[in-house]
Amino acid sequence: MAEPRLFQLSMSPHVTSPLNTRRVMLDVVTALLPALAGAIWFFGFVDSLLPVLVSVVTAVAAEYFCLRIMKRPVNAALDGSAIVTGLLLAYNLPPGVPWWLPVIGSGFAIVVAKQAFGGLGHNMINPALLGRAFLMASFPVLMTSGWQAPFEWSAPESHFETSGIPVENLQAIPDADAISGATPLRVMKDSFTMERHRGNAVRAQLASEGTYLNLFLGRRGGCIGETSGLLLLLGAIYLVVRGVLELRLPLSYLGSVALFGWIIGGPGLLQGDPLFSVLAGGVILGGFFMVTDMVTTPVTPWGKILFGFLAGFITIVIRRWGGYPEGCSYSILIMNLATPLLDRFTRPRILGEVGKHA
Amino acid sequence: MGKRRTFSGGAHPDERKELAEHSAVRKLPAPKVIRVALCQHLGAPSTPLVAKGDRVTRGQEIGAQNGFISLPTHSPVGGTVLALEDAALPHRRSGPTIVIETSSEEGGAVFEPWPEYSSRSPQEVIERIRAAGVCGMGGASFPTHVKLSPPRDKKVDTLILNGAECEPYLTSDARLMVERTADVIDGMRILAHALGVGRVFAGVEANKPEAAAALEGAGAEVITLKVKYPQGAEKQLIKAVTGREVPVGGLPMDVGVVVQNVGTAAAAAEAVRDGMPCMRRIVTVSGGGIKAPGNFDACVGTSFADLVEAAGGYSGEVVRLLSGGPMMGIAQFTDAVPVTKGTSGIVALTSREARSLSEGPCIRCGKCVDACPMGLAPCLISEAAEHSGWKSADEAGALSCMACGTCTFVCPSSRFLVHYIKRAQEAIRASKRSREA
Repeated sequence: MAEPRLFQLSMSPHVTSPLNTRRVMLDVVTALLPALAGAIWFFGFVDSLLPVLVSVVTAVAAEYFCLRIMKRPVNAALDGSAIVTGLLLAYNLPPGVPWWLPVIGSGFAIVVAKQAFGGLGHNMINPALLGRAFLMASFPVLMTSGWQAPFEWSAPESHFETSGIPVENLQAIPDADAISGATPLRVMKDSFTMERHRGNAVRAQLASEGTYLNLFLGRRGGCIGETSGLLLLLGAIYLVVRGVLELRLPLSYLGSVALFGWIIGGPGLLQGDPLFSVLAGGVILGGFFMVTDMVTTPVTPWGKILFGFLAGFITIVIRRWGGYPEGCSYSILIMNLATPLLDRFTRPRILGEVGKHA
Repeated sequence: MGKRRTFSGGAHPDERKELAEHSAVRKLPAPKVIRVALCQHLGAPSTPLVAKGDRVTRGQEIGAQNGFISLPTHSPVGGTVLALEDAALPHRRSGPTIVIETSSEEGGAVFEPWPEYSSRSPQEVIERIRAAGVCGMGGASFPTHVKLSPPRDKKVDTLILNGAECEPYLTSDARLMVERTADVIDGMRILAHALGVGRVFAGVEANKPEAAAALEGAGAEVITLKVKYPQGAEKQLIKAVTGREVPVGGLPMDVGVVVQNVGTAAAAAEAVRDGMPCMRRIVTVSGGGIKAPGNFDACVGTSFADLVEAAGGYSGEVVRLLSGGPMMGIAQFTDAVPVTKGTSGIVALTSREARSLSEGPCIRCGKCVDACPMGLAPCLISEAAEHSGWKSADEAGALSCMACGTCTFVCPSSRFLVHYIKRAQEAIRASKRSREA
């Protein structure tokens, strides 16, 4: 008789779904590419693609060296998560920043925000956003000025306003030159401190159909990857189709931004503009790609919904009363810290459980 | 038919039923030598009644019941006892077995047949089911007479026949319902009579229309269930069919329900109607590593190797051999283990089909939370368990886990979630025991 056959022992289940971490990460990378194409279209190769590449290469290299130093398997550097962090950090930088800025930001994101906490799955705070916050604190001028007016390669002479207000509508605003070079949210914020008549004129233009369209397409000033809602939505749809993105977080976040944008985002109560609140700034990028960072957000269904809702509220509060025109990234950073609490207090109901035990 | 009923959560593993679902059950003659385990059921093993060298006849009781939660064991063949020894078994590391050399497969109906079972009292019927050694044929092998004897304060009003068969690959229940419809229906009526209930449903997943039609045609009230794992788990089945929720830590009878597998019903019919002890069952032999997958009517004690050979032998590189389906089945290190009353299938997986054994870190995606059919957060329980946080694992409901494996199946990091949770369950139970002691 032949040698008896021996088989592998293991715990059930013995089969698995085709979804794996690497595929999730690479799907996110793919979903971010349309926005990158848009950035190149609007800001040119040198000012957009270069910082993105530098940021991604830095992130992967930093991940690799951290893993080496800690004597962990280095192929984890290629699981795709570092690429996502590098991309997202660069997408949150103004176009045309010096090359060393993404190096510092991306390096900080990986080394301090991610690997120092134990690497993939163990960081409490979104690495890309913490990297951005670090850059905001260290290089405020580079991070908040020099916004470029986008152009289109098909018609390089046709520049758009950084504010997103159609050029032909500018004459409706008294002293329109004073707002040139500012992002839509900065213009909105400034309008609250302007003389009343002029502030109203500015807000009327920001709330016009022409402005909405420009904001949605990406014809406005802003960070490299945040300007085109359309291209970001394309990526998000791809993720939904691939079964990677689940919509509780993005919908509750964007819904909350619109709701509170309307309630408290305007000059008075219920005078805000919900559509502008969602289209301007970085909430579409944030809502689909950063609020949805799995590691730093709750795992429970209600935790996700609450996270998005509260982050939306904080975003609008910062926009209206905070020191910055945009509150998206800080709102997510603050809520990241609340994630363990949210998980704990939103535990799903166990089948057959009558009420919750305290 | 309307909306297909189901529970919340769950997953959709690749069904792979096409491998064996159309292959009619083939009756396999008993091999020359069989090995009958004395602990095929849950509970205490039966006590051997024969010695080496004894002649036995088919249907003879060779192991005596040992306590209430236990069963007698019968010889599926006539022949000579070669040995009484401990051996590897599919559902536990090892246990007492009786090795018999086969000489005949004649006879076997050792009890008086009761074709008119309704004239018998429920107690008589339950006693017969016990004496015939009938246990749950769906996999858990719980002695059926115990399930049919609820304490007086539990009022049972509903019997659900479980024909969900939600495990991938397995088709033994599906073939049984199609080919032996009369046995299943008779068994269903016998079980209803034993319980004294009028509300009887048969739950069948929508991927078995032939089986559902067969039962319906024979007069059963069939509830078509959505194809979703683990639709056949008791609590999920009860929720889907009746809308009732078995309380945490409770049993189906707490909500007035008893669930019986369709195979158990057929075995009960043979025991009560025909006077035949439980000695055979239908086994699916399937998987990418089997040449000619099929369904076999085999006597208990037939080795896995014999059945694999009957199915054409292995093909390709088989890495894992399972007793049961791939979601909850038990990995075997050898095919020299015998079929028991609970062996619903033998599945041989190739390296392409089998889950890899390396795990990554939890990325907190929450897919396990959405998928858990018990409403647990498996990632949080396993995280606590990894750090020996038994108390927080308990607070998060670790004891409600039935180890169905849905969380581990959906996990993109291939984490051993069930493993960690089972570990937590053991620790929690141990600490509760020591606190009581």
